[in-house]
Amino acid sequence: MAIATQYYLLLSAAVFCIGVYGVLTRSNALIFLMSVELMLNAANINLVAFSFHYGNLTGQVFSLFVMALAAAEVAVGIGIILVLYRNFDDVDVTKAATMRW
Amino acid sequence: MAGAFDFVPAIAALPFLAFVVSLFAGQYMPKRGAEAGILATAGSLVLSIWTALTVAGITGSATFYNENFYEWVVGVADGALTLRFGVLVDPLTALMLVIVSLISLLVHVFSLGYMNDEGETGLPRYYAGLGLFTASMLAFVFSNNILMAFMFFELVGLCSYLLIGFWFREDGPPSAAKKAFLVTRFGDYFFLIGVVGILATFGTGLFAPVETASGTMASFPQLAEQALEEGAEAIYTAGYGAQTWMTILGLLVLGGVVGKSAQFPLHTWLPDAMEGPTPVSALIHAATMVAAGVYLVARMYGFYLLSPTALAIIALIGGFTALFAATMGVVKQELKQVLAYSTISQYGYMMLALGSGGYVAAVFHLTTHAVFKALLFLGAGSVIIAMHHNENMWDMGGLKEKMPVTYWTFLSGSLALAGIVPFAGFWSKDEVLFEALIHGFGTSGMLGTVYLLAYAMGLLAVFFTGLYTFRMVYLTFHGDARSETARDPEPVRWNVKGPLAVLGIGAATVGFLNMKPVAELTGLHIDFLHKWVNGPEEGGWPEALSTGLHHYETLLHDVTHVTAGYPLGETTTLLVSAAVSLGLALAGVLLARRLYGVDEPVEHTDKLGGAKTLLMHNYYQDEYQVWLAQGVTVPIARAADKFDQGVVDGVVNGVSSVSLFTGSRFRRIQSGVVSNYAALMTLSLALLLVVFVVLGGGA
Repeated sequence: MAIATQYYLLLSAAVFCIGVYGVLTRSNALIFLMSVELMLNAANINLVAFSFHYGNLTGQVFSLFVMALAAAEVAVGIGIILVLYRNFDDVDVTKAATMRW
Repeated sequence: MAGAFDFVPAIAALPFLAFVVSLFAGQYMPKRGAEAGILATAGSLVLSIWTALTVAGITGSATFYNENFYEWVVGVADGALTLRFGVLVDPLTALMLVIVSLISLLVHVFSLGYMNDEGETGLPRYYAGLGLFTASMLAFVFSNNILMAFMFFELVGLCSYLLIGFWFREDGPPSAAKKAFLVTRFGDYFFLIGVVGILATFGTGLFAPVETASGTMASFPQLAEQALEEGAEAIYTAGYGAQTWMTILGLLVLGGVVGKSAQFPLHTWLPDAMEGPTPVSALIHAATMVAAGVYLVARMYGFYLLSPTALAIIALIGGFTALFAATMGVVKQELKQVLAYSTISQYGYMMLALGSGGYVAAVFHLTTHAVFKALLFLGAGSVIIAMHHNENMWDMGGLKEKMPVTYWTFLSGSLALAGIVPFAGFWSKDEVLFEALIHGFGTSGMLGTVYLLAYAMGLLAVFFTGLYTFRMVYLTFHGDARSETARDPEPVRWNVKGPLAVLGIGAATVGFLNMKPVAELTGLHIDFLHKWVNGPEEGGWPEALSTGLHHYETLLHDVTHVTAGYPLGETTTLLVSAAVSLGLALAGVLLARRLYGVDEPVEHTDKLGGAKTLLMHNYYQDEYQVWLAQGVTVPIARAADKFDQGVVDGVVNGVSSVSLFTGSRFRRIQSGVVSNYAALMTLSLALLLVVFVVLGGGA
């Protein structure tokens, strides 16, 4: 007996909300990056769950794409964070606030 | 062997060369550029005479010439216009070429006395101006299409601006030059629209058909004639009937003519143009600027003949202007002012002749007027030299004994202007009036009435012409000297007397070209000008030329329905008409003699009462035009400006300031803190979800 699909969705929603909460409240860029990963993986859970629900493999394939995307995003994100640290001696995103009007 | 016609472009090119030489090398020449001008105009005169002889059939077999020689805009698409330069030589062209180059040559020689001997500065500029003026007029004369004519017409206007404003350091000349330029430009504006209209309607601006290797290119008067016969379907007429459209086009072109030929209501520039050097006035009045307008009507006469309305308007403008200007000439105190008004009046006669179907009469009067008006202006120039540039006739008097050459030649010109037999003006003016009279009697309906009205005004003007002309002569040359300078005038040299003598003889004899009354009476065929324009033999010029008199007479009769009528029989009418105009002219002369031909003449103008003020102020035409400009045009322009600044620009400015304002408020949410952006995005997404939930997910 498999687990009902709605539980996966609840899990996914919970993980996503944790990610959003992290992005909104923390100022450390690394935590930002982790929170974004959480959100992406929440989406992955959704994709796999629906794929399973409908017996269609497309969702699972897409989740692989999302992982690849996440890896790429992390690479870029880490790069940005390194530059941030070099310029501000810190990885606090609220300090780098000069790019505005 | 190359014939005369191959050298026609050189007639205009020579003075143009003189323009370039005088402008750049004039200051190194002993006469400051006059040499170039004299040589060039003499060359032009020789070539013009050769051309005229060829047209007469004496030095060649081809008697007319019409060729395109340069395409400057090539139309590629179907029905696209091709714009060309070309040369048209017919009797009218040949005659005018001789007149223009002759007058120009004499004016150049006279300028040696008037400008060089008086020690004027800036002479290279002066001679360059004269050269370009002559060149553009000559090119205008032999233009074979209306666009080319328009371009040189404009160039003539530009040169008159440059020359009238020659003494630009004084106050008067620059303002007179600007006035001349603006007033004539106002007329030319209509001319330009007319040119575009003609090109759009007929697809060609040719005055006469051109024979080319690939066939005959039709001219626009021919096409217009066809359109009238076959209905207007073939051509573009802007939704009007063919007849109406021809009238509109003709009147648009007439705008330019009225401006350049100083006809009412655009005559106001001409008296002011007297601010320019006197030789320039002679050139402007006799041969170039003012003649250009009348010449243009004669050039495209085949087109005007298709529209009775346009002809009536031309005749009416002409007759009215002749009278109107003559009355103003009666009260003027400056020598050149009197001559200025006489010019306006005389060109009125030419317009009257053209309007009433007297093509030969108009060309005749154009010829004689060129001679005697150039003479009068050069004579006035001689007097002005003698009087140390004082032009007031009330300071002159008694110059007769001191300057006999000037007096006798001036008298010859004055007799011609007043129309006293046998001087030139009598024959031409008489023919103008005669044509108007017989066509007025012979034509039924409105057109005939208009002709008779115009004739009456022209006839009345004859009296005033005699009066003002001899008032001028008596005040200037007769009686006692009324000032120190008049008692001891400065002598003039050969370079003044020479041109005067040539023109003085001309003014007495040019009229013999076309002594129509004598020809009628004696049965001798001595109406040479008539034969010249009509063509070599029976039937006139070949149809291919289509600018021959024979063709015009057919059109006049068949299309316009103008016929000659003789209320007293042919010969008697001719004699009575001549006697009446001569009688009126003599009456004017005698009145002038009675009033001013005394030792101590006094002003009689006060007897005119209120009319004197009216005449002295030129019927308030200047004030009226200034009022038109300041009282009507300026407020309208101001209102338009208000509309533009307020409404059109206001909308644009309003839109931009609203977006600027909202932008300046909205940018505050761009804090630069990434967390805030994330919060905003999250909130917006949540909001969007809520909206979707409330609205039920769309669809």
